Amino acid sequence: MIKVLFLIIVAEAWTAVGQVLFKKSTNSIEVHSLRTTGNMARFIKNITSKPMIWVGLLSMSIGMVVWLIALAQADLSIVFSIGSIQYILILFLAHYLLGEKIDKMKLIGTLLVAVGIILIAIS
Amino acid sequence: MKNNGLTLKIFLLIVLNDIGDTIAQFFMKKGLNQVGINDIGLGNIAEFAVKGSSSPLVWLGILVLILNFFLWIVILSRVDLSIAMPVGSTSYIFVAIVAMVFLHEHVSLLRWVGIALIVFGIHFVSQSTKGGREAKT
Repeated sequence: MIKVLFLIIVAEAWTAVGQVLFKKSTNSIEVHSLRTTGNMARFIKNITSKPMIWVGLLSMSIGMVVWLIALAQADLSIVFSIGSIQYILILFLAHYLLGEKIDKMKLIGTLLVAVGIILIAIS
Repeated sequence: MKNNGLTLKIFLLIVLNDIGDTIAQFFMKKGLNQVGINDIGLGNIAEFAVKGSSSPLVWLGILVLILNFFLWIVILSRVDLSIAMPVGSTSYIFVAIVAMVFLHEHVSLLRWVGIALIVFGIHFVSQSTKGGREAKT
């Protein structure tokens, strides 16, 4: 269980870093409403010219491989639920790397997720 | 700008996204079960890589996840994350049900309580992101 837990955390850490890099990329370009095809095309053109989005994709791919290594060794209902640890990782990464605020609601939510993960890990 | 109301169409798109997530995870787990290696160490990681990457079900799962990612972007371009995320968190319930019914996993009461706490927790986290633009996996 410890090994699987560790693998899920590593997988989600890579995924969370990927998310932060995605967000940094979309923050660095001007985004208009994506409702029109023209805006969508411009968005795709702008975003794919950012090197950071590709590093993010690479990071997510590594996360996916580690995820599969974890998934092979435990029940899906365990691995997927514990995967919600991404909400905790992203909360802190978004705070420290993107300067997003952590308020009381986010903290309570994260705490609930953490307790849920612990219950599943010991079940 | 975005229409922040949750219309039936968007609600159904989010449910579709949840179902996609669930199906992708199911395919991957089913494929990995067929590979049959359930204890991975340095000694057999190469064997796992070869067998895992030749499983069509694993690739099918990854393909569904990629398609789902684009669907999620479309959803987020229409509603705020604070609306999309709570509806999206139901995939934790869907996955547990699918694992029970189709993979014959035993989901204990304690595990259900844990899943319920996670879903509640995500609701709390998302309610404070009004106007936020973070993305989910």
